[in-house]
Amino acid sequence: MARMKFYCDAERCIECNGCVTACKNENEVPWGVNRRRVVTIKDGEPGERSLSVACMHCSDAPCAAVCPVDCFYTTEDGVVLHDKDICIGCGYCFYACPFGAPQFPADGAFATRGKMDKCTFCAGGPLEDNSAEEFRKYGSNRLAEGKLPLCAEMCSTKALLAGDANVLSEIYRKRIVNRAGRTLQRGVSFQNATLRSPRGLQGKASTIE
Amino acid sequence: MCRPASGMVILLVLITLLATFSGSSVSAQTRQEGIQIPNPGADLWREVRKRQQPAAPGVKAPMSGAPGVDLWAEIEQTGRAPVGTTQIKSVDSGMLINAIGDEWRRFRMERLIPYAGYAIAGMFVFVVLFYLIRGRVPIHAGPSDKRLLRYSAYERTIHWFIASIFLFLALTGLTMLLGRSLLIPLLGPEIFSILASASKEGHNLFGPLFLLALALVFFRFVRRNIYQRGDLTWLLRGGGVIGKKHVPSNFFNMGEKSMFWMLVLVGGVTAISGVILVFPVLGQGREIMALSHVAHGITALVMILVIIGHIYIGTIGMEGALEGMTTGYCDLNWAREHHDWWAERCENNGEVVTVEDAHGAEGFAPGAPKRQSIVEAGE
Amino acid sequence: MIGNFIDGPLWYFSLGVFLLGVAWRLIAIVRIGVAVDFSEPRNGGSGGALRTLFSRSLPRRPVITRGKVQLVAGYMFHLGLFALLFLAQPHVEFISERITGFGWVTLPHWGFILVSEVAFAGLLLLLLYRLMNPVTRLISDTGDYTASLLVFLVMLSGCLALAQAYEGLRLLHLLLAELLLIYFPFSTLMHAFTFAISRGYTGASMARKGVNA
Repeated sequence: MARMKFYCDAERCIECNGCVTACKNENEVPWGVNRRRVVTIKDGEPGERSLSVACMHCSDAPCAAVCPVDCFYTTEDGVVLHDKDICIGCGYCFYACPFGAPQFPADGAFATRGKMDKCTFCAGGPLEDNSAEEFRKYGSNRLAEGKLPLCAEMCSTKALLAGDANVLSEIYRKRIVNRAGRTLQRGVSFQNATLRSPRGLQGKASTIE
Repeated sequence: MCRPASGMVILLVLITLLATFSGSSVSAQTRQEGIQIPNPGADLWREVRKRQQPAAPGVKAPMSGAPGVDLWAEIEQTGRAPVGTTQIKSVDSGMLINAIGDEWRRFRMERLIPYAGYAIAGMFVFVVLFYLIRGRVPIHAGPSDKRLLRYSAYERTIHWFIASIFLFLALTGLTMLLGRSLLIPLLGPEIFSILASASKEGHNLFGPLFLLALALVFFRFVRRNIYQRGDLTWLLRGGGVIGKKHVPSNFFNMGEKSMFWMLVLVGGVTAISGVILVFPVLGQGREIMALSHVAHGITALVMILVIIGHIYIGTIGMEGALEGMTTGYCDLNWAREHHDWWAERCENNGEVVTVEDAHGAEGFAPGAPKRQSIVEAGE
Repeated sequence: MIGNFIDGPLWYFSLGVFLLGVAWRLIAIVRIGVAVDFSEPRNGGSGGALRTLFSRSLPRRPVITRGKVQLVAGYMFHLGLFALLFLAQPHVEFISERITGFGWVTLPHWGFILVSEVAFAGLLLLLLYRLMNPVTRLISDTGDYTASLLVFLVMLSGCLALAQAYEGLRLLHLLLAELLLIYFPFSTLMHAFTFAISRGYTGASMARKGVNA
């Protein structure tokens, strides 16, 4: 049994917003909702880093805990989904989520209070897999087709990874080890190092992982 | 005790049992059960976080300065305005981690829901016990055949206006607060979802009406509710609960005045925080909304508890109390015992009418005396 | 199954009862005719009829000074209900789909909510004042309460169904609206149509007498 995770590598993300566009296009997300967003910290300053954020599919999900109608559930793959037939659009998950994943669509009562929408890890919803209704309500169900979320698949620098936590950890571990080696070789701190052109391992950083 | 009253007691006991049950089962996560996914990473992370905790506030975590830790501090943004920039233009979208969300979750799930359940259940138990021990407060001199005009038709209308809106809001609000623990096991998630959606929409629509009703009630009754000499005595003697004698009071006694100000101040906070929550288009972020929800929950709970007491004392708790708000006229003996200064002024002004006049007229009899006593009461 | 019944046959039945009932009552009133006035008219009646039809929508001085609750709440309720009924987007969609085949300009959602609040406040105040004021209580009969309560329930069920996502809530609202349509022609709710006849008659006969009323 896999446990699905997103990993975003702040050293690799170049803030191209390809994941955001891929997600919107693949899932035909309602107007006003962005299931994924790229946030840049220290924009334009030394140490600038970007991160792509969406639902983190928490183990102890705050959205599921506070939902007054109990519409959230965790799939066997560890993906946190919600049932739009039960959701009443109260917005409590929006308050509780640390990552700003659940959002109001811009129609419905009081201008912004329709049923909540959030990242599904491209796993659809509780309806029949890949049915038209499932697509209309939740977007694409790539997991049922044996594919991973499109945001991660589209990522040009492979900063955003999606898949089984153990596999991702292994990839990430290799990257860290490689970077540590580079840092030692240059004799400067890692954060400063990445602002310079790498020496010694030139042209090999991405192939070695 | 008369028969309807004992039926009422049984009903109250039933409600109490139901409400007590609410506190015990709040942590049930019906849909989460059954799926246990091992997540060693999360346990490891909790351990790391524990070790990272600063020894004292203001002291930086021991790992500070190491690569990545400063970046993490930026990401966490605890207690700060969002510093990130993003192409997604909406409120707070530059915030990576909203720390207040988890605090709000703990408040709602671990404090508000259980304490609200226990407090409301406790209030019912208290009211039932109070009734069983103290019984109904009678008119000691017995009902008379004289009446005093207590509330005009307009005053009664706005009272029942705010009362009906309040009851509707309280019931729909409690449905959303306690429904997951109380009603989902009974109805199932699909049916409860319909009920909850109806409650939410009704609550949202009627909420602003409460503000209107509150304004009407405030402007109508504020003069009679200004504290005056004698109110402290009333408070010190517990409104007559301590000792045997009734404490003298004006048109409204100290307890009623306090309830009025509670309703205006606490209810005002409830209504305004509700407006902030119901219109998420004013540019307010999640922090403000979470805080509004905390204020909304606490103040609404306080109001519900006080209003349970108010309903008790206005109906089964006291003989002769309800008539003033239904027919507009109260019994002269009741007024003498509970609002003697006002009753005395009414008698001096010749505002006493016979029960026949009161029955037929309710304030509209030809030549019915103007309520000079009420104008004086506010001065 | 019951949903299909409410959405189909019962809807057409109630609409039929409403249309035929209203037509029958209006024709019955018109057929009574007007007593022949042998005196020579000072003015034509039509102008007066038209003027009174609109001028009576404004409050008259004695009304302003005496019943403020009924005056304010009355306007709130009637104007709110009219906007709610004919300018709310779900209603226009329904009418366009089921009856007319064309729609018209609708209120934005916040406008819909606002007029609902105004109508609710007006109706609640009117209903409570009717109960609390001894004069109105004396002259109210079961029909008045039934009509008020039915309108209130239709509005309340509509308010509960605002999410527009639950078939059950929509059907409840539709069922109550159908009951209201069936009840409408046989109750005082007919004033929505007959007010024009009575005002027109009063205006015309007064204008013939040369009275500006």
